[in-house]
Amino acid sequence: MNFSRKELIETDATMNQMRNAIYILTRLMEKNGISDSKDHLRRMGQNIAKTYINYWQPTNIVTINNIKDVITTIYQKVMNSVVSLEINELEREIRVQDYKCALCKYQYADIEIAGCEILLGLISEFISLISKESSDPSSITLEPYKVNESRAYGNKSCIQIFKYKIGKEG
Amino acid sequence: MGAFQWLMKKITKVFGRSTNALFYTLLYREILKEVNEITNNEEESLIILREIGKRSAYESCERHSSIFKFMPGNPKKVLDYFEILWVVVFGRELEDYTYEEIPKEESKYNDYILKIKNCPICAGYGQDKEDSFDFNKVKDDKSEGLACGLCGMLESVANFILKTKRNDYRIQIVEQKCIARGGECLQFICKIHDYKEWKELISSRTEERISTGIYFEESLEEEEIVQETKLDIIDKLQDVISIDKLEEYLDEPLESIKERVSDIIRDKLNMEPEHFFDYFRNYEDDMIRIIGYLGTHILNEYGGFLEKLLKNEWFAKVFGYLFKQLKEMTLLFIPLDVIRDYNNLLVSFLDNLAPPEMVENVKLFTGKDTVNFLFEGAQIALENFGIDFSELKENVWEELKVERENGLISSDISTIDKTREKVPQIISIIQEFLMIINDILTLPIRILISESHYGLKTAINSVVSEEEGLYGSIRERFDNIFDQIQEIRK
Repeated sequence: MNFSRKELIETDATMNQMRNAIYILTRLMEKNGISDSKDHLRRMGQNIAKTYINYWQPTNIVTINNIKDVITTIYQKVMNSVVSLEINELEREIRVQDYKCALCKYQYADIEIAGCEILLGLISEFISLISKESSDPSSITLEPYKVNESRAYGNKSCIQIFKYKIGKEG
Repeated sequence: MGAFQWLMKKITKVFGRSTNALFYTLLYREILKEVNEITNNEEESLIILREIGKRSAYESCERHSSIFKFMPGNPKKVLDYFEILWVVVFGRELEDYTYEEIPKEESKYNDYILKIKNCPICAGYGQDKEDSFDFNKVKDDKSEGLACGLCGMLESVANFILKTKRNDYRIQIVEQKCIARGGECLQFICKIHDYKEWKELISSRTEERISTGIYFEESLEEEEIVQETKLDIIDKLQDVISIDKLEEYLDEPLESIKERVSDIIRDKLNMEPEHFFDYFRNYEDDMIRIIGYLGTHILNEYGGFLEKLLKNEWFAKVFGYLFKQLKEMTLLFIPLDVIRDYNNLLVSFLDNLAPPEMVENVKLFTGKDTVNFLFEGAQIALENFGIDFSELKENVWEELKVERENGLISSDISTIDKTREKVPQIISIIQEFLMIINDILTLPIRILISESHYGLKTAINSVVSEEEGLYGSIRERFDNIFDQIQEIRK
């Protein structure tokens, strides 16, 4: 009987080679005429979240009161990352800063995309899936906005920005 | 498992950047799906994924090439170290596997078949809607399975080691059975090729890749063969302190070790041991300081680990604090008889190796002198690595981590809180180190008693067995230390 996905959650795996693989993939995409590789990376993150949530989820409700803690928990449990968060209520933005992003470490001269685009997709999908199942009217949904800074761009940290909506506001 | 296999596994696991294994597996799956979107052909996608795995591992190896310089340079031994390759590549233990040697006539090396019962890459594949890569469309029996990317990584690491060790042989690792494709286990076949065979193989692989019509960059394999790595001091020392040879040293008694040291001095320095040690006559105290100094620097030769560690201000302080405590404790708490045993061990080592006059001078040192000289030398080396001993102060504080009721992790953690969270782990590490020191300090008596009968290894394992003896105890403590470091790094 092989491992189950539930069992995999209990262990860690080293990302060094997989991190490199993401950049080799983006290079492959660009060399083969895929111009929206950013969207492809975000979609990869969304797909990961859709499967991941079948085996683990941090909470049943995400509102403005606990959104920071929920995102911190996802980053810590899934990515082993300790992040700092800021919420800009005026712009409806959540800014996540990660100094040790598992998907970005080195700057490549020929690549202008950050591996943590995957995390924009992953986190937003995770939160939105939890809220979809929740009956709370003040549930939050998240959308990927942009990777503002990245170690892959030569910055000291990765800064991922999400847009959020409360309830059915649109 | 050998001590150094274990150590390498621990080091690579603790100091790699890890994520949750499920995330790793799902990311791997998504990469394959994206490749398939480009190729629209499942068989070709597997070929491309293998190539991606190979290139990604090669990139990592190049960044950390020094760590591979202590690995064995013989293809068969590289395969013996497959467990390490697995940990280097996948970051988790290789469990429940069998290893079979397939005799190959007219060839220097046999083939090897490895059957791994549990494959983390295939874990639960097919149970979720997003597992959309369809293996039913893979018709060619020769096609690999889901772990082909992992296979490429393993092959790349194995061949990087052989290249680093300037060996002309290369290893081909192919996935023969895949659980996601219906196999009962993950099965690899490992074939060892000489230069000519390997060249033919890589050109056929390149043709196969080109036939997919997928644009990739220049071939990595050709670069692998012709590229030369620069020679450094580690290359020169490799013959003497390769990991696999260190295991052999542990099997030999003191006299054999002395013989080996003599041979090294004769081979590398072209002089008789007595002449070599004669340089230190009347400067015996400096010689002992140099041993402490060089011992610390040699520790750092393993990938510059110590130096890198001490660049971190926090680690430098903890290490300096530990060193200071060790220096004081050794003289305060260790019975003088034990320290004297160490001195006798040094005298026994130098006897017949160094000039008699020098041996007599060393005999005049008290055990306390010897220990102080060693610590003085080590301290100078640690100062070189960045520990400012003048700034050290005593810090012993502990705070238990408080779990929140809702299971979520607070986003409002200050830097001080983050540091405090790590304190229990740091204290545990210090405690484990102190226990290791206590364990090791009982060693010289055992060595002196058993030297004439069983040798060094008997002394190390003199309690009951390898697992329960001193070696087992130290290994267990290091296991705890690595676990704590891993916790801190999370």
